[in-house]
Amino acid sequence: MELGYGVIGKKVPRLDALSKGSGNVKYVSDLYLPGLLTGKILRSPLPHAKILNINISKALRIPGVKAVITAADTPQRKFCLNPAWANNMLLQNEKVRYVGDQVAAVAAIDEDTGNEALSLIEVDYEPLSGVFDPEEAMLPDAPKIHAEESNIALHGTRTFGDVDKAFEEAAYVCEGTFYSPPLAHCCMEPRGCVAYYDLSGKLTVWSTTQTPHPLREELSEVLDIPQSKISVFQAPVGGAFGARMGMDPIDGVAAVLSVKTHRPVKLVNTREEEFLSSRIRYPMKIWIRTGADKNGRLIAQEIKVITDNGAYNHEGQYVMGNAGSKLAQLYAVPNIRYEGFLVYTNNVYGGAFRGYGNPQITYAIEIQLDKIAEALKIDPAEIRLFNANKANSVTASGCKIGSCGLGDCIETVVEESGWKDKKVKERKSGSKRRGIGIACMIHGGSGVKFFFGTDCNSSSAIAKINTDGSVDILTGSAELGQGSNTTLAMIAAEELGVSLEAINIINGDTDTTPPCGGAWGSRQTFMAGNAVKYAAAEAKDQILKVVSDLLEAPVEDLLIEKGKVFVKGSPSRFVTVAEASADSWRNRGTPIVGKGVNVDPWSVQPDMKTGYGNVSSAYAFAAQAAEVEVDTETGCVEVIDFWCAHDVGKAINPLGAEAQIKGGVISMGLGYALMEALVLKNGAVQNTNFADYKIPTMLDAFDVKTYLIEPIDKYGPFGAKGVGEPAMIPSAAAIANAIHDAVGVWINDLPITPEKVFAALREKNI
Amino acid sequence: MAKVSVTIEVNGESHEVLVKNSTTLLDLLREELLLTGTKKGCDSGECGACTVILDGKAVNACLVLAVDANFGKVETVEGLGGENAFHPLQEQFAQHGAIQCGYCTPGMLMSSKALIDRNPCPNDMDIKTALSGNLCRCGGYLQIIDAVKSTVKK
Repeated sequence: MELGYGVIGKKVPRLDALSKGSGNVKYVSDLYLPGLLTGKILRSPLPHAKILNINISKALRIPGVKAVITAADTPQRKFCLNPAWANNMLLQNEKVRYVGDQVAAVAAIDEDTGNEALSLIEVDYEPLSGVFDPEEAMLPDAPKIHAEESNIALHGTRTFGDVDKAFEEAAYVCEGTFYSPPLAHCCMEPRGCVAYYDLSGKLTVWSTTQTPHPLREELSEVLDIPQSKISVFQAPVGGAFGARMGMDPIDGVAAVLSVKTHRPVKLVNTREEEFLSSRIRYPMKIWIRTGADKNGRLIAQEIKVITDNGAYNHEGQYVMGNAGSKLAQLYAVPNIRYEGFLVYTNNVYGGAFRGYGNPQITYAIEIQLDKIAEALKIDPAEIRLFNANKANSVTASGCKIGSCGLGDCIETVVEESGWKDKKVKERKSGSKRRGIGIACMIHGGSGVKFFFGTDCNSSSAIAKINTDGSVDILTGSAELGQGSNTTLAMIAAEELGVSLEAINIINGDTDTTPPCGGAWGSRQTFMAGNAVKYAAAEAKDQILKVVSDLLEAPVEDLLIEKGKVFVKGSPSRFVTVAEASADSWRNRGTPIVGKGVNVDPWSVQPDMKTGYGNVSSAYAFAAQAAEVEVDTETGCVEVIDFWCAHDVGKAINPLGAEAQIKGGVISMGLGYALMEALVLKNGAVQNTNFADYKIPTMLDAFDVKTYLIEPIDKYGPFGAKGVGEPAMIPSAAAIANAIHDAVGVWINDLPITPEKVFAALREKNI
Repeated sequence: MAKVSVTIEVNGESHEVLVKNSTTLLDLLREELLLTGTKKGCDSGECGACTVILDGKAVNACLVLAVDANFGKVETVEGLGGENAFHPLQEQFAQHGAIQCGYCTPGMLMSSKALIDRNPCPNDMDIKTALSGNLCRCGGYLQIIDAVKSTVKK
C-alpha cells in the first residue's frame, strides 16, 4: 500500500541554494581568522629520486616567512585510508616517487612571500630511474618504487563457477582490450583546508573533506594528537566526486605548519596543483572475454585488469576490487573469473572518483555486449533485458539483489527514445550519420562493506526536538553539493510529521555530530537517511509518550500530522509537537532527544579467500541511451539527445535526483566519453589547466530526459537507494555504442576523440 | 613592492584601497574588501568562477589588474539582491535546482545578469554562448539555462 507522503517525493529546492546563490556561504578559501598565514607546499619536479639534503636556511631568512618544515618536523608516520597499506607520508623523508610529491612546506604572511620562500628551498636530489607504464613496472628488473617490494601492490584472482568449461560450451566468444586513462576530478573548488593549532593544544581543521569523522581519525594517527583534541569542520564544499575522500596531505601539512607557528594556516591548491599532483581516477587496461549461448545468454565472463596504482597506496585495492565485482553483478552471469594487478608506477597516484572503478569496467562490459549482440543479430536492448538481474536474486559472487528495476529502466529508455525506429532506419545527411546506443549499470546503492579496513558501513544521528517545535538533526554525514542535507531534512520531517521548515540539519562537525562514514559510495541517502529516520522515530516515540499522558490516550492511537499530535479520527483535540517538547523539558525535566544508529543491515565482509558475499545492502540500477551525430569528414561526435532511467528505490527529492543525473551525464559522463585525459610524460602531467584538459562547457550541453524508477527498496529509508555515482557510470558506453550504430566503428580506448574516430573511419574506408 | 592607491566602486559603495601593481581585481575584492562571494577557481581566466561585471561588462576578475579597474564600477554577487530580497536570477536558480555545490554559481549569476542587462530576450544559444566561459562540474548546465529563461519570462 503506497502511503501518501507529506514531504518526501516532492520536488524541493535545496535548503542551502539561496544562501549559496547570495555569495554568503564561506568555503575554505573564504575563511579568515586573525593571524592567518598562507601555506604552500614544495613539490618534487622529479618522478623518482632520493632526497639527499634539504637546505631551508635561505627561505627562513625572508621577512614574513613564519615556518619552513620538512619531514623531520612531522611524526613521520605513514598513512593511507586503510592503515594496513600505509606507505605515503605528509612530507617525504627519503625518496620522492612522483612529480608533485610533497617535500617541504612553508607558512608565510601571504601567497607571494610563500612562493618566494619555496623558490629558495634547496633540495639535493639523486635522480633514480623511473617507470611509468604499469606493464613495464611489473617486470622483475623494473626500478623498485617502494623498498624491497615488488611493484605489484596487489595481485588477486576471483573465480565463481566453472569458467573454462563455460567458454568451451559457449556458442560465441568475444574478446577485447579497453583502456581508461588518468582523469582529474576538476572540482570547481580546489582542495584546501584551514588548520589552527592553538596554544591549548587543540587542533581545529576546516576542510573540504567528504569524510569529516574518518579525517579526524586519520589526523590523530598521523600527527600523534588524541582525537579529543581535534575538531574537524566540513566547510561547504565546491564539488567532491571522491577527490576529498580521506585525508589529503594538505590537511596534515597545514596542521603541522600550525603546530609550528601556533597560528591558523590556510593551504589551498592552485589549479595547476589540482591537475599536477592530486589524486586521479585510476587508469585501467582491461582485457575482457565474454561467452554467450546461441540465444544471447551470457554464460561466462572473465577479465584481466592492470591498474596503475601510481606512487602511493590510497584506494587502489578497493577500486580495483569494486571494478571486478561488477562482472558478477551487472548481469546474471553464472561463471566469472577476474584477475587484477595493482601496480606502482612513478605517476601521480589515484583515489576515489565517482563510480570507483565501475565506469572503467562498465565501458568494457557494455561495449563487449554490443559486439556480441551484433554478432548474434540480437537487438542490444533485447540482449540486456534477457540477461538483466531480477529482484530478490543472488548473483554468482553472492550479492543479494533485493529491489531491482533494471528491466523497467531498459524498457523505459527503449520506449522514450524511439529506439526501435531509430535502430532500423539508417539516418544520414551529407557527411553526418546518426546512431543510438544503450548501456546499463549496477552500483552499490548503500555504500559497501569493504572500506576503511573495517567491517562496518555505518552512520549515526541525533534528533533533538526544541521547545518551539523546531528540530535539530545532528548527523556526521557530509554535504558536498549533492543535496544530502535537504534529503535528510525531508526524511526527518516525514518521519516526525512536521514541516520541512522545522528541520535544521547540523552536519560535518566532529565536535557535535555522531560519527558517519561520510559521503562515498552513493551511501548517504541510504545510510545517513536511515540513521536520521531512526533518530527521528525515537524522538517521535518520546513525544507520543508525553501526549499519551496529556490526552489520556494510548500511544498506539496517536498520530502526528503537520506538527500536531492527536488521536486518530479526532484531529480537533491536539497537542502540538512544540507543546509536548516544552512539557517534557519544563515539567518532566526530560528533553526530547532521539538517537539513531544504522549499521548496514544486509551486507557482509566478503570472504577474504573467495570474495564471496553480499557487499551492499541495496543495489542501484540504470539504463541510459544516447543519440549521437558523427561527422565522417572530421570524426567529430555530437551528442544530440539522451535518456536516463534510474532505479532509485524511492526518490526522496526528485528535483535533487534529476539534478544528480543530468549533472553526472553532461558535466562528467560526456567528458569521460569524448574529451578527458591527463597526459603524462615521464610522470609529469602536461595538461595542467582547463584549456588543455577539457571538461564539458555549456555549449556542449544537450537535452537529458530523466525517468526515476521506484521499485521501493525493503531496507532503504522510505524505500530509497543512492544515485550520485550511477548518474555517470554508463554514459560513456552508451555514447560509444551510439557511435558504432552511426558509423560502424568501435573505439576501445577512452576518450573517443575526433582523431580516433577519423582514423577508424579511414581504416574502414568510410 | 610599493603599493598604489585604487579608487573603486563596488556594489554602489566607493572604496579606496592600497594594492600592489600585480594585485588582481579578484584579490582586491576577496582579500582587501573581504567580498568572498566571487570565487577563485583557476586564477587564469579559464573557469569563469571569478566573473564580475566591470563597467557593464562581464569579466574574469582574475585577468583584470586592480590598477586597471581604477575608477571603475564593479558589481559582484553580493550586490545582486536588494537589502531584504533576492534578485530574480538567484530565486530562479534555486527553484530550478541550478545550484548544487554552489562554487560556480556567483560567476554564473553575474554572467547571466550581464547577458540579460544587454539582451532582455536571449534565446537558448544566446544563453549558452554568454555562459560558455563558466565551467560547472556538478550540474550539467540544463537547469541554469532553464533558470535564466524563467527569469526573463518573469
